[in-house]
Amino acid sequence: MSERLIEVGQRIVNVIEEGQGAPLLYLHGFADLHGVSGELFPFHKSLAKGRKLIAPAHPGVNGSDELEFYSVDDVVFSYLELLDTMKIDRFDLVGHCAGGWVAAEIAVRHPERVRSLGLIGASGLFVQGQLIGDVFMHAQPERGVDYATLRRMMFSDADAPMAQRYFPNGRGDLEEETRRYGMLRFGSFFGFKPPYFYNRSLIDRLGRADMPALIAWGERDGMVPLAHGEAYARGLPGAAPLLVAKGAGHAAHLESPDVARAFEGFLAAQTVA
Amino acid sequence: MTHEVQLYCWHFMSYPYLAEDFDSTQDSGWVTVPNSLWDRERSRGLYQQYLDQLVYASELGFDGMVLNEHHQNIYGLMPSPNLLAAALTQKTKRGKIIVLGDLLPLYMNPLRVAEEYAMLDNMSDGRLIAGFAPGSGPETFNYDVASAPSREQFWEAVELIEQAWTRPGPFAFEGKHYPLRYVNPWPQPTQNPHPQIWIPGARSKETLVEISKRGYCYFLSSRSHGKETAKSVQKFQQTLSEHGKTYLPNRMGILMSTYVGETDKIAQEESREGIWYFLRNCLKGHQRREGRQLTFGPGVPYIPVNEFRDYLRHSDPTTPLLGDTQDWGDLQRSQSIIVGSPDTVYQRFMDVLEHAHVGHLLIQFHMGNMSDELARKSMRLFWTEVAPRLKKSTGDMYGKIFAKAEEQAMKESVL
Repeated sequence: MSERLIEVGQRIVNVIEEGQGAPLLYLHGFADLHGVSGELFPFHKSLAKGRKLIAPAHPGVNGSDELEFYSVDDVVFSYLELLDTMKIDRFDLVGHCAGGWVAAEIAVRHPERVRSLGLIGASGLFVQGQLIGDVFMHAQPERGVDYATLRRMMFSDADAPMAQRYFPNGRGDLEEETRRYGMLRFGSFFGFKPPYFYNRSLIDRLGRADMPALIAWGERDGMVPLAHGEAYARGLPGAAPLLVAKGAGHAAHLESPDVARAFEGFLAAQTVA
Repeated sequence: MTHEVQLYCWHFMSYPYLAEDFDSTQDSGWVTVPNSLWDRERSRGLYQQYLDQLVYASELGFDGMVLNEHHQNIYGLMPSPNLLAAALTQKTKRGKIIVLGDLLPLYMNPLRVAEEYAMLDNMSDGRLIAGFAPGSGPETFNYDVASAPSREQFWEAVELIEQAWTRPGPFAFEGKHYPLRYVNPWPQPTQNPHPQIWIPGARSKETLVEISKRGYCYFLSSRSHGKETAKSVQKFQQTLSEHGKTYLPNRMGILMSTYVGETDKIAQEESREGIWYFLRNCLKGHQRREGRQLTFGPGVPYIPVNEFRDYLRHSDPTTPLLGDTQDWGDLQRSQSIIVGSPDTVYQRFMDVLEHAHVGHLLIQFHMGNMSDELARKSMRLFWTEVAPRLKKSTGDMYGKIFAKAEEQAMKESVL
């Protein structure tokens, strides 16, 4: 793994890279690389087996500068500009949570550049009656110290070891809490309005993104309801049948080895020109 | 210039009809507190009662009346303080009317605030003090106001309103958040160039800098007054001097709460129910560890990342908040709600003022479910038995301490 600060226009973007091969842009979520940790998880390493994984931190998160504006277009352009700077034309694209939303927005704008699309617990869609969870309210701990409901939102179970590791009760490690705060602040800028994390127009544009796609969802996702996964799988013309990871929560890619395995197979099947 | 502390009556207008088991059955008094608990029959006449208490303050001789904006909670039933301020303009003849303040990021267009405040200033014949506030955590959820950009939005809105009152219209306001083609509000305020502007703040250096540069009054938004209050005064003094300005007590105000009875014992007996209703119910979700407080924290990320890191460094999430107060001793130590005889209350107020030289005391008398009769009694005793001594003592004390500073401030205003 290597980490470097890349200047994109006037902004600094913190980028983690791993592996060799055709580029794969990975856009992170909350319970994820950059969102809660500066280190790659096994899932990211498996993505990098046949690819060069490029994982930038979102604006304001883990060392990346904030943006001046935060519309969907502003965030999409911040990544197109990063890709331009890195001279990357065609790439595989994988995203989790809010990163999955941004990935979908890139894919519907530039289907010709996205070789394949992978989404895990992705927000971004408006699905009537299936509200995306209020991560902001649950990030306010009960009794000042208890993050159990936030843990349950992010993972299958509030007591799961990974949940306890990354969202411990009480005052956590200073840098880890600061990192989480940066991610919530990005979420507030980008996804607070409308409440929360969707672009009402996106669902009708999914038909443009006709590249091969793999949609994976935790069976017990407490943040983005499974119905959103079904909607992505229905709307994306190249999508394989929705992969539902048994027993996993919102961070299905961290919790379930099935997800990593499925992505390895999916990426290996793509022809890299 | 008078050096006497200015004394205002602040009414929060809490919902007083909660059942006794509220605390054990509800997680919060804010945002998510079910409004099926609202009792329509019992609430008849409630606003009238609260409004009349403020009118009573004006009649007693208080320097003014204070209102503020809250939404979807039991702590303050004032989604629109401007409506109540409008009523006060017609029901009172004297005393400032302080709206502290309209929550600017909640308005689609802050020009509306410039207009309504100008109306209030005209309707009250120039008695308005114009408070602007950015709102805190609960407003994020109440009005779908994203926390992260809200501070920037707030200061742009302040700039827009001040320009609307001072710059000849029509003009175009080329803002990032509030671009307007025609800014030209009718009416203009009665006070020239505009009503005094007050801004609440607590932790933010940016807020102090803006207040210093713009010549506004700083209201410390804290309910507790220990060493921190004196430190806040020093920080403000220092920020002012960094901007070539001199601190005088009339640049700063604080909130205090009190109940005055004939003796300490009577005061405690009479205020006990109202105060504990206020602490346990009204502060639940706001300034209490029990439940989920929504006022400040990672879920309402309105301060920049580096400021939050500083906050983490210097705070402890297990420190009790005001609403966690266990007994009268705790309450006394927090210097937040001061309860006692006129002598006791005078002395405890002076304990605060001797360390924190502020010129405006915004005082809450009605707390929780306190009866109309007791709230009025406490106001009357305060005004007749405590206020004259506070005015005399602060007049003497500030007169000595700030004689030179005042000369300096006069020169600055001439320049």
